[in-house]
Amino acid sequence: MKYTVIVKPKKAILDPQGKAIKKVAENYFGKDIGDIRVGKYFEIESSEPKETIEELANKILSNDVTEDYEVIES
Amino acid sequence: MKVAIIRFLGTNCDYDCKYACDVLGIKSEFVWHEETSLKGFDCVILPGGFSYGDYLRSGVLAKFSPIMNAVREFANKGGYVMGICNGFQILTESRLLPGVLLKNNNLRFIHKDVYLKTEGSRCYFLKDSNKNLLKMPIAHGEGNYFCTKEQLEYLKDNDMIVLRYASEDGSVDEDANPNGSVFNIAGICNEKGNVFGLMPHPERAVGHLGIDGEEIWKSLLE
Repeated sequence: MKYTVIVKPKKAILDPQGKAIKKVAENYFGKDIGDIRVGKYFEIESSEPKETIEELANKILSNDVTEDYEVIES
Repeated sequence: MKVAIIRFLGTNCDYDCKYACDVLGIKSEFVWHEETSLKGFDCVILPGGFSYGDYLRSGVLAKFSPIMNAVREFANKGGYVMGICNGFQILTESRLLPGVLLKNNNLRFIHKDVYLKTEGSRCYFLKDSNKNLLKMPIAHGEGNYFCTKEQLEYLKDNDMIVLRYASEDGSVDEDANPNGSVFNIAGICNEKGNVFGLMPHPERAVGHLGIDGEEIWKSLLE
C-alpha cells in the first residue's frame, strides 16, 4: 500500500520560511502572488493498515503543538 | 553529585559540558544514547548539538533513543535533568517540558552573547544564584520558543519561566528578543523544578570562557 502524509504548520503559527519564499516570489513576479506556507511531504510504502500510518504521523512525523497532518491512501 | 552527560549521534557540546563540570569539580561521565540505565547518577545533562542531523524536527528522533526511557523515568522520580539547546529541543519533543522550538523568526543561525533575566522560578538549577541578569552565548537556528496561550499562562502561574532574553540593562522587550520566542522565553522548567531546558549555553560561560554559567552549574555542587 502507498500512503502519503502531509504535515503542515497550524494556521495560528507564523511560518517564516513561507514568508521568505513569498518575498522572493514577489520580487520574481513583480507582484504579490499570495500567501505561501511550508510543510512536509512523506511517501510511505507499507503493508500496515491506515491506523498505523495515522499513529506514525501523529507520534513521530508531526508535533501537535504546531503542526497538523493528513494521511492519504493511494 | 554525579552527572551523566548523554551523547546522541550528532551531539557536539558533550565535551563543553564535561569541561564545565571539571572546572567546578563536579563528577561527570559520558553516557551513550543506547544505554538503558542511569543507575548511580544524580543529574542528567542533554547537551547541545544536532542529534540525528536535526532531521524531521530538531530533537524528535533522539526522543526515541533507548536512554530517553531512562531519562523520562529519572525525571518523573524527581531526578535533575538539564537540556541545553538541542537538549532543550529533545525535552520539549519528549513532552518533559511544554512547547516547541521553531526556526528563528529571521531564519538565521544566531551565534552571539545575550543577556538573560532570571525570573525567580522554582528551577533547581538556579537555586544557588543571586544574580538576576546573566550573560551567556546562544548558538542556534531553531530556538524560537512557542507555546499556546494556555500553556504560557500555565508557565506563568506555576513559576516555570526560568530565563528571559533581556537587554544589558535588564529590560525585557522585543529589541532584546533574538529569535522571536514567545514572551522572550529562553529557558523553562517543569512543575517540580527538576527538569530545566534552555537555549543559551551555560557550559560556554565558565572557566576561561565566562563567569555567569557558573550560576547554573554551581547548583550541582554538594
